[in-house]
Amino acid sequence: MMGSDHEGVRDLLGAWALGAVPPADEPRLLGHLAECEWCADEAERLRDTVRLLDGGDAALAYERIDRAATGETAVHEDGGQEVRGRLLASVLARRPAAPSVAGHAAPYAAAVAGLQALLRELGDRGPWSTPVVHDWDVHATVAHLLAADESLALRLGHRARTPLGEQPQDVSWRTIWANRTDEVIAYERAHSPAQTVASWREQSAALLADPHATDTELAAQATTLLGVRLPIADHYVVRGFETWIHTDDIGRALGRPVPVPPDPLLWRMVRLGVRILDLALAEDSVPVLLTVAGHGSEGEWVLGGEHDPVAAELVLDPVGFCLLLAGRYDPAEVPRGLAGDGRAARSVLERAARIAWL
Amino acid sequence: METEQAPTDAELHRRLVYGDESALAAAYDAYGGLVRRIALRVTHAPGAADDVAQEVFAHLWSRPYTYDPQRGTLRTWLSMLAHRRSVDWVRAEERHRKAAHTDEAALHAIPAPGPGPDEAVVDMERALLLHSALAELPLPQRQAVHLAYFAGHSYRQVAAELGIPEGTAKTRLRTALRRLAASLAEPPDPAVERGA
Repeated sequence: MMGSDHEGVRDLLGAWALGAVPPADEPRLLGHLAECEWCADEAERLRDTVRLLDGGDAALAYERIDRAATGETAVHEDGGQEVRGRLLASVLARRPAAPSVAGHAAPYAAAVAGLQALLRELGDRGPWSTPVVHDWDVHATVAHLLAADESLALRLGHRARTPLGEQPQDVSWRTIWANRTDEVIAYERAHSPAQTVASWREQSAALLADPHATDTELAAQATTLLGVRLPIADHYVVRGFETWIHTDDIGRALGRPVPVPPDPLLWRMVRLGVRILDLALAEDSVPVLLTVAGHGSEGEWVLGGEHDPVAAELVLDPVGFCLLLAGRYDPAEVPRGLAGDGRAARSVLERAARIAWL
Repeated sequence: METEQAPTDAELHRRLVYGDESALAAAYDAYGGLVRRIALRVTHAPGAADDVAQEVFAHLWSRPYTYDPQRGTLRTWLSMLAHRRSVDWVRAEERHRKAAHTDEAALHAIPAPGPGPDEAVVDMERALLLHSALAELPLPQRQAVHLAYFAGHSYRQVAAELGIPEGTAKTRLRTALRRLAASLAEPPDPAVERGA
């Protein structure tokens, strides 16, 4: 009599043929195979199949079963240090690593590498005309980044990659910024996406090869770009932030999730974002304690006026905070923890969302 | 943002996307052995292990967005990539061998001692047929077989790694193997001569 074990054992046959049955289960299985012809036939047929997967090589089959028992990789399979070095060098030649720069330029170096890898997925004939953000498609978003990085590039003495038109005097930086983006997009429309990407990449490479990207003393010099006076080092961080946000925009549009930059880089952007937000808040605004926590770190800042007591506590995740600053989160919807005066906290969130320029 | 199941995969992936070369070295150190083992198992040619490993890690590094940590572990993804590349390698070798009208390549690829040359070639062709069928299995079954067969996991470890009940893992392994066995019984090409 085959016993009530038949169903249970039958289900195990695939795992058994693959050597994936723990030793403790085996006596029960073998006992059943000895008395159930149907299961024994199937077991043999499946085991023959696995043997053929091994290429008919019994030694390999035994080796696999041994390994299943120990879970260890045989030493001779690692190829050795010399092979490792050769392989890694040849793989790195296919895609350059993010260049080694000072901490302030690392978020930009990483974001440029991340966007380049994403754009590569589109190839020459990919969905470049997919709508991304504002009224830009993928091609126009890259053209916008070319315009966006340009202000820092010009300040550091690099040349413009597309012809510079006349800018009206006495208008706000936001108008100049928007005009220049329109101008560059119009210019790049007459070129292929590959040409636009090449111009963007060359300008990024020039910014990352500039001494200001590696020399922290040189980068400590303050300058006004995009309406805010900051050390050049911080303008590099802003470049990294904007490049990441637009990469994320493109990734969402294409259905390719873009991971958040590595924690140390993310936090560098968060800390600068808090400083910019604090500068943007009126001196007499109600003080709010902002906590940003998650992704391996935590920070607390009192934002707003210095004379009144803290009216509210606001807790945000670093990614939520960045997306809020980028205008990618509605201030009413960004996930937050809140205690105290809700109106004071909301006004901080709304001010943060209005900073967005990208 | 990371899945609870595989925080290290998500972390590694993040660093790969952002061009951190130390992540490539870390991925190679963690999975280089597995990739080479799969290449050896499928091709039986030590030289192929280097070629396959190089292609697999070049793909991971230069096209990091093709791996999505939300959809499975890096171990399984790399093993499937290694398997596919290995099958391609053997196919290319076969074409080369047929074009050259010589059995030398096949003889070279089969380590002695083993079955006689004719039997070896037939076994190799049947193995290739099987490996091609394995590469075509539906993703859930393919993942389970890769973990059990190439990574040496027990069905319990397979279940844990894929986050599925143990019963489901057993069923997937059995269904997959039955399909593979059936692919041998009914070759897709009727002109293929079956030794009976």
